[in-house]
Amino acid sequence: MLTRKHISKDVKWWIVVAVLAALPLMGVLPSSYTEHVLILIMLYGSMAQAWNVIGGYCGQTSFGHSVFFGIGSYGAAMAVVTFGFSPWPGAMVGALLAAGVAVVLSGPCFKLKGHYFAIATFAIVEIFNRLFMVWDWVGGALGLDYPLVEEGWMNFMWYDSKKGYYYGALILMIFVFGVVRKMEKMRFGYYLLAVREGQETAESLGVNSTRVKLSAMALSAFLAAICGAFYAQYNFRVDPSMVMSLDMSMKFVLITILGGLGTFWGPLLGAAVLIPLQEYSRAFIGGMGGGVDLMIFGLIIVLVMVKQPRGIMGILDDIAMKSREKKEGDH
Amino acid sequence: MKRLFIGRTMVAKLFLTLFLVALLTGGAVAAEKVIKIGTLFPLTGPCALAGQRCQSAVETAVEVINNSHPEIKVPGAAAEGVLGGMKFVLVHADHQGKPDVAKSEAERLIDQEGVYAIIGSYNSSCTKPASFVAERKQKLFVCGCSSSAALTKRDLNRFFRLAPTDETESLEFVEFIKYLNETKSAGIETVGLIYENTEFGKHAAEEGKAAAGVAGLKVIADVAFNPGATNLNSEVQTLKAADPDAVFGACLGGDYTLWVRTMKQMDWLPDVALNYCTGYQDPIIAKQLESDGDFFMGGTGYSPEFAELMPAVAAVEKIYMTKTDPSVPFDSDCIQEAIATLILAQAMELAGTTDYDAVLKVFNETEFDSPMSLGGMVVFAPGGQNLKAMSILTQLQGGSYKKIYPLDLADTEPVVPMTDWGSR
Repeated sequence: MLTRKHISKDVKWWIVVAVLAALPLMGVLPSSYTEHVLILIMLYGSMAQAWNVIGGYCGQTSFGHSVFFGIGSYGAAMAVVTFGFSPWPGAMVGALLAAGVAVVLSGPCFKLKGHYFAIATFAIVEIFNRLFMVWDWVGGALGLDYPLVEEGWMNFMWYDSKKGYYYGALILMIFVFGVVRKMEKMRFGYYLLAVREGQETAESLGVNSTRVKLSAMALSAFLAAICGAFYAQYNFRVDPSMVMSLDMSMKFVLITILGGLGTFWGPLLGAAVLIPLQEYSRAFIGGMGGGVDLMIFGLIIVLVMVKQPRGIMGILDDIAMKSREKKEGDH
Repeated sequence: MKRLFIGRTMVAKLFLTLFLVALLTGGAVAAEKVIKIGTLFPLTGPCALAGQRCQSAVETAVEVINNSHPEIKVPGAAAEGVLGGMKFVLVHADHQGKPDVAKSEAERLIDQEGVYAIIGSYNSSCTKPASFVAERKQKLFVCGCSSSAALTKRDLNRFFRLAPTDETESLEFVEFIKYLNETKSAGIETVGLIYENTEFGKHAAEEGKAAAGVAGLKVIADVAFNPGATNLNSEVQTLKAADPDAVFGACLGGDYTLWVRTMKQMDWLPDVALNYCTGYQDPIIAKQLESDGDFFMGGTGYSPEFAELMPAVAAVEKIYMTKTDPSVPFDSDCIQEAIATLILAQAMELAGTTDYDAVLKVFNETEFDSPMSLGGMVVFAPGGQNLKAMSILTQLQGGSYKKIYPLDLADTEPVVPMTDWGSR
């Protein structure tokens, strides 16, 4: 049943989409670098939302998502580089493969709980990283470099302008967030929350927690892989260190936690804070050397988390609550 | 309340001061005619030290270009600026050793900062996407030391690389082995490879294998490891078990130190250990290893011991040493970045304009005078490789890089087989 809160959230969502869609048309973006930062916000927001399905809504902390992201990247890149096709079928094959791999790997891992599950997913990243490093068919340590191909939607490749990537990232975000929004409203979404809040209790009410968790992992991996395909197309290159690394896995987790775990807006808010901070601090002070930008970046994350462990959504909720209390006090 | 008021006033003053400083310095830059050059190196991450040295080398070259240095015998050093006084202004960027960051920073340097050309980027895996961006945006990319041979096999028109490639060094290695076998009866028949599992290491290993195959040497060990390893016991154990006569190594920075120390721990050495542009070339690492670093060999594009072959370097090196902390002389990698900057200035001067087509024509058709290069000249082949790039095979003896091959440049007899650990 749709509630007023649901409708309001949907309206807000489409307003955000409309604003993002209008920005390049209105000519208000000062430079292609600003476009680049917005593309990254939409991409990383989508990645974090993909992770949020299993990590936030279902409460299973996975550090293995860079594997699924990587499989998606390799799917698109191999379609273009190895087989000379369009990246679209490669991205689809990669995403389905990622979902399959997620189910196969998660089966045994879900027998572990809490920290042990998280540690197991850490190990999976290392295994896949090593595997792809020595697997010559996928380019090994050298990775895959894109050739110069014709620009356009067919090859999902643009060189001189970022407009194509901008709208590509927007469509990706609409798709990923749309799937999650749909999931929130479905019975499946409530099953996820039930498993997160108490697996035994959920099972006692007839929820098949193993099936729910495996389905959530498959969906999460599928969405992460689609994001990976975009990432490869955007960077003209893929190699194991770029995509299948703990560093990349941490980004999935960090952005979601910073924004607000298990919330619809959290991943987008986390990306909207973290990505500009990362990009602009590097652009303005990264050239000084010594990693000053990284230190400031780390310090701000620590401050936010110390101030409000529920992330930016928690800070916004607190502000909204105080404002409500003040209004009620005035009356 | 008063304290708060003072605090706000101070903040306002600070902002006003910063605003005025920005206004004044901005005005100063705008008043002069400048050419913005982007530098793109790993200033943080595992290769940060090397990247920072490369950046200092470019700054050194810019100091030579922008100011009159009649004492420096390098083309353009006597004049102030290029093209009648235009100054180079550097815009630095950090790619952190990550290809995706290198690509986005190259875009920012070109689109946002409006740089005329980019110099960089040390890691071959980062140079690849960054130079691809420059090519598409029709900007020059001058690469000092990235050594992957694949970089200059992409048919790019605006990419130029100064340093010798892994391919060149591999051919030099097998030629040297052939010389040892023929004149010193060294009996070297088998080769082992140890390399970091990256674009650089993998390429180096492939070139090494190919060169060894052509020379009739049998490759009996092929050992890859992940860069930044904390333990190389199993890798060295594999080499020891195969016991090749010669080893080709591609281990950067701390990995090189670890490899040497692990071999000592396992009391094993091949007869000859030849290294690509790696930790071997770093004088600080050589110093840290003390006598353990002795008798290893490698291709060296520059070392202070080459002073008599390249007399022009000393005066430039003096400036470079003031820009590094701790103060270090040029090494084979960073000197190439300084040369890259000097060649760019020379090309503009020869073209007589900053017009891209004219400068590009000079790059493609000119035999540049380059007293800081071992080859003395710089000539670019289609694809951008410097045909005159060369390195000398050296061997560390008593902590000093001794020239051992080619014979016309050698000053010392090579110690082959390497002196074992117990006899040092």
